[in-house]
Amino acid sequence: MTRVSVDADRCTGHGRCYTLAPDIFDADEVGHSIVRIREVTGELEKHAVTGEQNCPEQAITLSP
Amino acid sequence: MTETEGYVDQAMMGLAEPQPMYKALRESTPVFHSPQSVVLSRLADIETALKHTELFSSNMDAVDLGNVRPLIPLQIDPPEHAKYRRILDPLFTPREMARREPGVTALVNDMIDRFADRGECDFHSEFAVPLPCTVFLQLLGLPLEDLDKFLEWKDGVIRPEGDSGYDRRHETSAPVAQQIYEYFDRAIDDHIASPRDDVLSAMIAANVESEGRPLSREELLDICFLFLIAGLDTVTDSLDCFFVYLARHPDHRHQLADQPDILPTAIEELLRWETPVPGVARVAIQDAEVGGCPISKGERVSPLLGAANTDPAEFPDPEVVDFNRNPNRHRAFGGGPHRCLGSHLARMELRVALREFHRRIPDYEIKPGTQLTYTAALRSVESLPLTFPVASPVSNPDSNPVSKP
Repeated sequence: MTRVSVDADRCTGHGRCYTLAPDIFDADEVGHSIVRIREVTGELEKHAVTGEQNCPEQAITLSP
Repeated sequence: MTETEGYVDQAMMGLAEPQPMYKALRESTPVFHSPQSVVLSRLADIETALKHTELFSSNMDAVDLGNVRPLIPLQIDPPEHAKYRRILDPLFTPREMARREPGVTALVNDMIDRFADRGECDFHSEFAVPLPCTVFLQLLGLPLEDLDKFLEWKDGVIRPEGDSGYDRRHETSAPVAQQIYEYFDRAIDDHIASPRDDVLSAMIAANVESEGRPLSREELLDICFLFLIAGLDTVTDSLDCFFVYLARHPDHRHQLADQPDILPTAIEELLRWETPVPGVARVAIQDAEVGGCPISKGERVSPLLGAANTDPAEFPDPEVVDFNRNPNRHRAFGGGPHRCLGSHLARMELRVALREFHRRIPDYEIKPGTQLTYTAALRSVESLPLTFPVASPVSNPDSNPVSKP
C-alpha cells in the first residue's frame, strides 16, 4: 500500500497529476491538486507514481 | 567575443534551433554573466531562481514593457502575489477552459476554411496570429473588430520598433502602453455597465478575500495589460514552433494524424523541446550565490527555460523528441509562484489547433526556398508559408460549403 500526499505550499497548479492520473488526483477551485484516494494499491499505485513523477514542483509524496 | 557570448547574442536575436546553444552554455558556462544579464542554463539553478522569490524578484526592474505600474500578477512577488492568483487562477482552470473548447473548435475550423481549398497559406499570419488573439477577445468579452489594434499594441510593447536594448525600451513602448491603459479603462466602464459571462466581468465582480474589497480600477488595468502581453504572443510562438517542427518531421506528424489520442502528451513534449518562451526575467534583490557563482543585488537574471527542458540531469536522451515521454516534468510554463497563469488556456488552444488542423490537413510542407526568420526573445517566425494537397475529402462538419464565398 502507498500513501499519497500533496504539499499545498509547493503545488502551483500545473495540473499534470490530475490530467495524467485523474483517478487519484483532482483539482480544487483554483486548479491546485487535491488527493482523491489517500491510500492506493495495485494498479492505482502505478497511476500515483505517474502523477508523482510528472509534478514539476515535486509537490507529491508517496510513502509506504 | 567569446563563443559563449556569441551564442547568447544569437539567443537574443532569435534562433531556429536553440537546443545546441543551450547545451553549449550548460556545459561551458552554466552561470554566464552576459552584458545584459546573468544567464542560467542548468535546471537545478533555474529552479532556485524561480522558487526563491525572496532572492530573485519578478518585479518591474526585471523587464520593462512601458507599463507605469507593476503588471499583476507577474510583477508582484509573494506574499502579496497570492491574493491576485486566488482571484485569477479559478478563471483559468482546466475545467473552465474545457467549457470554452467547443467555441474554439468552431473558430479553428472557420480559420482553416479560409485556406483549405487554396493549397497554401501563411500559417503564421492566417492562423498562429489570429487564433490566440480572437480567443483572447472572446474570453475577455471585447469586440472582435479590435483584433488589428491588439496585434499592433502587443507587438509595440513586446517588440518595440528600433528596440536598442533594455535601457531605451521604456521610451519606445511607453506611448503604446498608454493606449493600452486607455482602451482597457473604457472596456472596464462598459463591463461595469453591462456585466456578462466573461473573464473581465468575473474580475470586476471578484473580491480580494483577505481585504474584503473588490479589485481597484488600477489593479484591473494592470491585470488586463499583463493578459495582453502574456496571452497573445505566447500561443502564436508555440503554434509557429510546433508546425515548423511537424512540417519537417513527417513521422511525428503522421503519429499525430493517425493517433489523435496521443495529442496531450505530444503537446507536452513539443512544449519541452521547442520551449516557445525560451527564458524569463528576474532581478536579484539580495546578493546571492547560484551554482557556486556570486550574483550581486541589482543584477538581472535570465533563467533559460529551454535549457532546463533539455538538461540531461532531468531528461534521459533530451535530444530525442518522444511523444510518449513519461515522466515529462518540463518547465515550458516556468515554475514556482509565477508559473504561467494561462497554461491551461494555452494547452486547450494548442490541443484544438493541432487536432483540427491535422484532421483536415494531415500533410503539408514548408514552401520550398523559404528562409524562416525567428523573432527575438519569444520564438515566433515572421512568416510560415505552408503548402498542402487540396481536395481533402475530410471537411468541416459544422460548415455548409455552399454558403462559403
